[in-house]
Amino acid sequence: MRNVAIVGIGYTPVFVSKRRDVCIPEMISEAVENAFKDSGLTPADIDAVVFGNMQTFEGVNLPHLWSADYIASLGKPVMRIATGGTTGMSAFHAGYYHIASGLHDVVMVVTYEKQSEGDSQVGLMGIITPEIMAMLAAGIDVTGQKGMGAIGGGSAGGISYQASSYLHHSGAGIEHIDAIAAMERRNAAKNPYAHLKDPEATAEKIAQTPLISWPIRFGHVCPTSDGATVCILASEEKAAKLVDKAAWVWAVANCASDATTGNLIEGIITDPAEQMPAQIAARQAYERAGIEDPKKEIDYVEIYNGFAHQTLMFLERIGMCEVGEAHKLLEKGELEMSGRLPVNSSGGVVSTNAIGTSAMNRVTECALQILGRAGEHQVEKEVHKALAHGWGGLMQYVTITILADKPKKL
Amino acid sequence: METSEATFITPVVPMDFTYNYRIGPYMTRYLEGFKERKILGSRCPACGRIAVPPRKYCGVCNKVMEEMVELPQEGTLENFTVGHVILEKGQLKAADAPYVLGLIRLDEKASLLLHRVEGVDPSRVEKGMKVKAVWKEDVEGDYGDLDHFEPA
Repeated sequence: MRNVAIVGIGYTPVFVSKRRDVCIPEMISEAVENAFKDSGLTPADIDAVVFGNMQTFEGVNLPHLWSADYIASLGKPVMRIATGGTTGMSAFHAGYYHIASGLHDVVMVVTYEKQSEGDSQVGLMGIITPEIMAMLAAGIDVTGQKGMGAIGGGSAGGISYQASSYLHHSGAGIEHIDAIAAMERRNAAKNPYAHLKDPEATAEKIAQTPLISWPIRFGHVCPTSDGATVCILASEEKAAKLVDKAAWVWAVANCASDATTGNLIEGIITDPAEQMPAQIAARQAYERAGIEDPKKEIDYVEIYNGFAHQTLMFLERIGMCEVGEAHKLLEKGELEMSGRLPVNSSGGVVSTNAIGTSAMNRVTECALQILGRAGEHQVEKEVHKALAHGWGGLMQYVTITILADKPKKL
Repeated sequence: METSEATFITPVVPMDFTYNYRIGPYMTRYLEGFKERKILGSRCPACGRIAVPPRKYCGVCNKVMEEMVELPQEGTLENFTVGHVILEKGQLKAADAPYVLGLIRLDEKASLLLHRVEGVDPSRVEKGMKVKAVWKEDVEGDYGDLDHFEPA
C-alpha cells in the first residue's frame, strides 16, 4: 500500500438551485478547470479518471462518457461509481485505491449533480425500488391511503423514524435538531460554495418552519443543488514534486447493513438510528489510521447530514462522543467553528446537496481545514487530523475517510 | 413451503415528470446562427479541427474552443443509412417511404453533421455525393430551422 495525497481541489464557482446557463458537462468542466488551477497540473498529468454521481437523478445513465472531453479523460482509464448519497466518497475511495495499489500515480476524481435538470423524486424511486419490495414484505401498504406510502416518494418521510429513534435514545429534543440546523445555516453563510445560507439563523427561526413528518421540519432538510467538485490525488512520490503541503489519506472504510430495508426498520435490527455500518466503518478506519482515542485525536469532523439530526446522531455513532452527549456538546457551543469539536463548518449537506458531490465535499472540506485554506469558515483550532463521513445507499451504507496533515508512516 | 399460483403483486406507482436539460452557451450560439441561416462550429486553437455543432472542448488537445467559425452550406456525404421506420410518440411505425439519413462533412477539418438528405432516390444514394443545406422558409432559432440537405 502506498500513501495518497490530495493535491488539488476544484469546485464550481457556486452551488445553487438552478444553473440554467450551462449544460451538464459544461458545469462539470468548471470544477475540472478549477482543480487544474488549484494544483498547477494539466490534463497530461492525469493517469486515470474516476467519476461519480447519483444514479438516475438526471436520467443520464453514462454521464462520465458523455462528459469525456470535459473531464480530460480521452484515451484514459475512466470509471463511474454510484453508491447513492455516498457516491462522492466512494468515488474518492476508488481514486485512492487506484494510487494506493500502485497502478496509477495521479488520479482525478470528478463528482457532480445538476438536480434541476431531473426529477429527484423519480431518481429516489429508482433507488428505493428494492425497499418497496421490503416494505411489501414488512406488510406495509405502499399503495394505500394510510400515509405509510409517503416513505416511498422520498427520504424525508422515511427519515423521521430514524430521527424519532435518535431523540428517544439520546434524550435530545426537537429543539436540538432546530439548533444544529441553525448552526449549520450560519456556517454555510461563511462558505462561498454553500447553497442555503442564513447568517441570522436561530433555533427559534427553524422551529417556525412547518413539520413534514415529526420530528422532521422543512428547516431540517437539505436543498437540491446544482454543482460539481473535483479532487486530484497523487502518490507520495508525485505529491512531493507537485505541492508544498497536502492533505494525506490515513484511512478509508465503508460498510453496509441489511440491503433492502435501510432506514425504515433496518432489517432484523429494528432500530433505524442504530446505524451499525457507521459504528463498524468508523472502528475500522480508526484501526487503519492507528487512532486509539478519536475524541482526543480527531480535530475536525464533516458529517453527511441530509437531515439535521444526523450531525448529532452520527457523532455518537462514530465514537466522537458518548451516546446522549452530542446535543449537550451543541448546547455548550463545542460544535461551533470556535468550539472544541468543530463539525460541519462548511454548512454540511443540510445546507448544500448536489448529491454526487455531497460525500466528496465532506472529504475536500476536511482537506481545506487541514491545509488552513477554508477561508471564512476555517475553524479556530489547529486541524491535524480530520474525519469525513458519508451516508447513503439505501439509508444503510456508510463511508469514512480520515485525513491528516502529514503522510502516514507505512 | 407451498405456494399458490398467485404469488405476485403489482403495485402501480403513477409518475409524471419532466427533465429540464439546459443546452448551454455553445448550443445556444449554434441555434442563434440558424436565425441568420448560418451553420456554426467551434475551432480548436491547437489542432484546427472544427466541432459542428460547436462545443466547449477539443478532447484530443484538451483545449477550450472559443473561436466560432461559419461553415459552408455545401458538403460531402461521408456515410448514410436508409430509414424504413420512424419513431412517433415512442412507437415505431413504418415510414411513408424509405428516407436517407446522412453524415455530412461541411469542411475537411469539421466533424460530421447528421441530417436528412432529400431529393435523391434512396437506392441511388452514394458516399461522396455533394449535398447542400435547405432551410425552412421562416427560421426562428430552433433545431428544425435547418430542414434537410439535398443534392447540390
